[in-house]
Amino acid sequence: FLSLNSNLDPLTETYGIPFYLQYLAHWPEYFIVAEAPGGELMGYIMGKAEGSVAREEWHGHVTALSVAPEFRRLGLAAKLMEMLEEISERKGGFFVDLFVRVSNQVAVNMYKQLGYSVYRTVIEYYSASNGEPDEDAYDMRKALSRDTEKKSIIPLPHPVRPEDIE
Amino acid sequence: MAARGHVQDPNDRRLRPIYDYLDNGNNKMAIQQADKLLKKHKDLHCAKVLKAIGMQRTGKQDEAFNLAQEVATLEPTDDNSLQALTILYREMHRPELVTKLYEAAVRKVPLSEEYHSHLFMAYARVGDYKKMQQAGMALYKIVPKNPYYFWSVMSLVMQAISAQDEKLAQTMFLPLAERMVEKMVKEEKIEAEAEVQLYFMILERLGKCVEALNMVRGPLGEKLTSELQSRENKCMMMYQRLQLWPECNALSYKLLLKNPDDWQFYLSYFDSLFHLMDMSWSPSEEGQHCVEGHVTTTVAEAVKFVVDRMAEEDKKDSRPLRGPYMACLELIHRLRQRGCPDDKELGDPLELMVQFFGKFGDKPCCITDLKIYLHLLPPEQHTQFRNRLEELVPLGEAGEDGFRFPGDTKALQRHLCVCQLSRALGLQHALDTEGKLSLIAQLKAHYHHGLRFRKSCLKTELQFSDMYCLMAAHVYIDLWTENGDENMLWQCLGLLEEGLSFSPSNAQFKLLLLLLFCRLGAFQPVVDLYSSLDAKHVQHDTIGYLLTRYAGSLGQFAAASQSCNFSLRFFHSNQKDTSEYIIQAYKYGAFEKIPEFIAFRTRLNQSLHFAQVRTERMLLDLYTEADITLSLEESVKAMGVCAEEEDIPWDNMRDNRDLTVLVSWDPKDRELTEEHRRLSLEEESVWLKVRSLTLRLLASLALLGHAPSPRNSDKTNENGVTTKSSTLQNLLSQLDQTLQTAARITEKQTKKVRGQRTCLSFVVFWFSSPDDSSELQSQICNTFKSIVVQLQEMLSRCKGEVLEMKDRRLKTQPSLLETLVFFLETVCVVLWVASYSANVLRPLKSSLQKKKKKKKDTCTAMPVVLCGFQEWTSGLQGVVTQALDHVKAQEAQLTTLKLAALTLEEGDQQTQEECGFTRVAMDKVQSSYLGSLQELGDLLRKRADSLKSLKI
Repeated sequence: FLSLNSNLDPLTETYGIPFYLQYLAHWPEYFIVAEAPGGELMGYIMGKAEGSVAREEWHGHVTALSVAPEFRRLGLAAKLMEMLEEISERKGGFFVDLFVRVSNQVAVNMYKQLGYSVYRTVIEYYSASNGEPDEDAYDMRKALSRDTEKKSIIPLPHPVRPEDIE
Repeated sequence: MAARGHVQDPNDRRLRPIYDYLDNGNNKMAIQQADKLLKKHKDLHCAKVLKAIGMQRTGKQDEAFNLAQEVATLEPTDDNSLQALTILYREMHRPELVTKLYEAAVRKVPLSEEYHSHLFMAYARVGDYKKMQQAGMALYKIVPKNPYYFWSVMSLVMQAISAQDEKLAQTMFLPLAERMVEKMVKEEKIEAEAEVQLYFMILERLGKCVEALNMVRGPLGEKLTSELQSRENKCMMMYQRLQLWPECNALSYKLLLKNPDDWQFYLSYFDSLFHLMDMSWSPSEEGQHCVEGHVTTTVAEAVKFVVDRMAEEDKKDSRPLRGPYMACLELIHRLRQRGCPDDKELGDPLELMVQFFGKFGDKPCCITDLKIYLHLLPPEQHTQFRNRLEELVPLGEAGEDGFRFPGDTKALQRHLCVCQLSRALGLQHALDTEGKLSLIAQLKAHYHHGLRFRKSCLKTELQFSDMYCLMAAHVYIDLWTENGDENMLWQCLGLLEEGLSFSPSNAQFKLLLLLLFCRLGAFQPVVDLYSSLDAKHVQHDTIGYLLTRYAGSLGQFAAASQSCNFSLRFFHSNQKDTSEYIIQAYKYGAFEKIPEFIAFRTRLNQSLHFAQVRTERMLLDLYTEADITLSLEESVKAMGVCAEEEDIPWDNMRDNRDLTVLVSWDPKDRELTEEHRRLSLEEESVWLKVRSLTLRLLASLALLGHAPSPRNSDKTNENGVTTKSSTLQNLLSQLDQTLQTAARITEKQTKKVRGQRTCLSFVVFWFSSPDDSSELQSQICNTFKSIVVQLQEMLSRCKGEVLEMKDRRLKTQPSLLETLVFFLETVCVVLWVASYSANVLRPLKSSLQKKKKKKKDTCTAMPVVLCGFQEWTSGLQGVVTQALDHVKAQEAQLTTLKLAALTLEEGDQQTQEECGFTRVAMDKVQSSYLGSLQELGDLLRKRADSLKSLKI
């Protein structure tokens, strides 16, 4: 499971071991790793299922998606996202959502291409270090087949604060 | 903090402020508040525990423990106290006490689901699988919920996994677990997917593959829905274990049709095909192949399958997948391995690879993909291959300098890929010095040209052309190692510094710089580089070795200690963190992950690097602190080093080093092999053994100092001393053995250690004979002398210039620094031995003096040994003074060395700007050497002072 390879990419968050273990313990099926024929780690996706079914908020969440620099532009991220959506479908989720830095235009565009739209903006979601201002996040969503009317992705008119999201 | 929510309880209301203080880190106020509360409500036990938590967090461990025990002995059954004690014990690293706590609670409240479940988790934290099994069953009896039952089953599986005796696992634990699950199956009580997974795990471990297969294919298998392709993957695994090649083949075929990019199934497809051919398998009469469908039995069919997959990709409008094209090369490789001529059917590898390059050459992974199959090309085709690829790279018109550059990033990536491939083919290595120099010029030109493609100026973004820069650095290193031309190294460092200035986040630049600075013995810049890599968590284990290996031996003691701490902090938190998630895995039924988590924890605990930093850190502390701030004995005690006990798992040592973290495009014959890794591990282990034995010898020396002098002691004390001396003897003989092993690997390092060994072995003399025979005395005196001689020799090996200018070029001798550090370490050891000797001799002298006074017997001459000792200390004084002078002289020499005076020849490949970067690197090395010398000098002075005070 956990590969001991080194993730030294400056844009990718490297989480603490407890963080990974927590996900592996709770949602092992949501942890998918892609390996190249030479044995190199190409990328991974990590997510979870959460929310209330009664309020039609049961959904899949993308916690981390990372593709190694040399395996970019191959459509790997799309493939991994597709797998996560498939798992969420099976779990009967209404939608899949994810948070992305407003500044990360490349990622925002990629998610749009994959069918995601901005549901709301979360103000100062990413806390910054070294004195720079905190950054806003887009909460992007894509409706799954269970949400036939696509109610879950109707954009909210106003941005929200991090403490207001569940 | 836990246990809130029952707001109704008045006690909760009373305790709330204390919780809040603790949560906010205001421990003092928490303690005060608890005291206040306890005055009014003496029996509010939880307040006591919370107070104890406050004390624990303010460093009053002992008081905290005593207070907690007061409550614990009352065997509390209120939630608040139990939870608070659990938190406290966890912070004290005493998880075993939590089990006691809940054992008592369960005894008093035998029907509490909650306490039983806490008890189970408490056992899980300490890994007591047997007790877990019982606790799980007890829970199930109170509350018949499936998860509890299966906790118990899983605990049986864990007993099997951890059993020393595999037979016990196979005949007792696993069959019992199987029967427990079967019972539930029969009663149709299986509910969750996790339970089916656990059943599969048990059958698999029992080797009951047929049963496992039937289960997965049957109704129970329908529950396996969370994971993608979970049933298929499990079936495949069983087919392979059962060698059911028809099924394996047919399933791979099916899955590849579904996803022609899933590499693992090409491998199983080819594997199974060849197995089938070897056993001349053919479908039954009825034409039925197998349950999984169509089976491929001939090479021709497989060739067609792969060719069809490629044709499908060719037809697609969207982005083609790499899988089918790589599968084609893989099949050629396999067919050639078997000596099967049919590989021709698939085409010429050269053409196929050129095609692949045409399709994927602009992707950064092209090199990684093709590299695996370069061996399919005969050497005489190598140049042709490169030329063919070059034709496919769109480059602009040649400029003044004769270079043709790419017009966009896709063309750049293609051109870069050709460079990478020609390096991987060995074409770059085959060039002569001149060829390599012009290659460097070309790579640098491409690097500088490519800088224009960067769109944003984000610091985190890398330059598209960074890899050219890295490759040029590699060629510089080739030249340096081939010709020993240190100038190449300086230029290389300059180039990397330049690269870093344009791409401040490029980890590869940093890693290579880090490695080169270490090789140069300059540890100062390394610390900054490593911290800017922002290595986290597990990376301290996988790449931390890059620097901790050099940390101590280069004389940067403070920095070394800091680096070791980084790594140690990670290792220590691992143990605690993992346990919590093992418990979570039980809660969520992620049974498959539990053995994995445990294996992961073990892997880190048995890490070679962990053992190394642990040992080096302690040695470092002793060398820099012991007998300066604390006595040797106190230092050893504070560290908890035990001379008798081995704390390194020699037999199960895990090598977690990521040796491929640095990018390399070297041809296969220069690549790192398993043999290299093995040799390196052997070398590291032997050295670690030497160091850890040295540490334990020092520990036993320290504890000897504690014992009463053996000569004048009562007979009753003899025993204690004898055991200690035998420990010492034992460790010494182990050290001798290790040194013999080491000598086979590397003679040079071993020589240095011998000096230290002599000093330590010397201590044994004091025990070898109870009487003070003159023979022994002269023996001791001889050793005194020989130690001085050895130190003198060691010092003479330190002589020379660490850094000097010769013929306007900069020359380094980093090994001198290392030798000097080792000399200093040895001085420390000698001084500790001397101090011990003084302790032994002091009573001897005073008793002699008493005798003299009483009897006025002038005949009793001063024993030889006492004079010897005095001569010895003054001899030592002499050597240390010389060493100090040497260090001072080196410092002075370095300070006066004006690098600015160094005219870097600009014509010689480097522009003025590049010279600037090279000078930056040189300055860093110079200042690092200076720093090392200063730290060495300081420590040496401190040791010299303690030598002066050494009198008998």
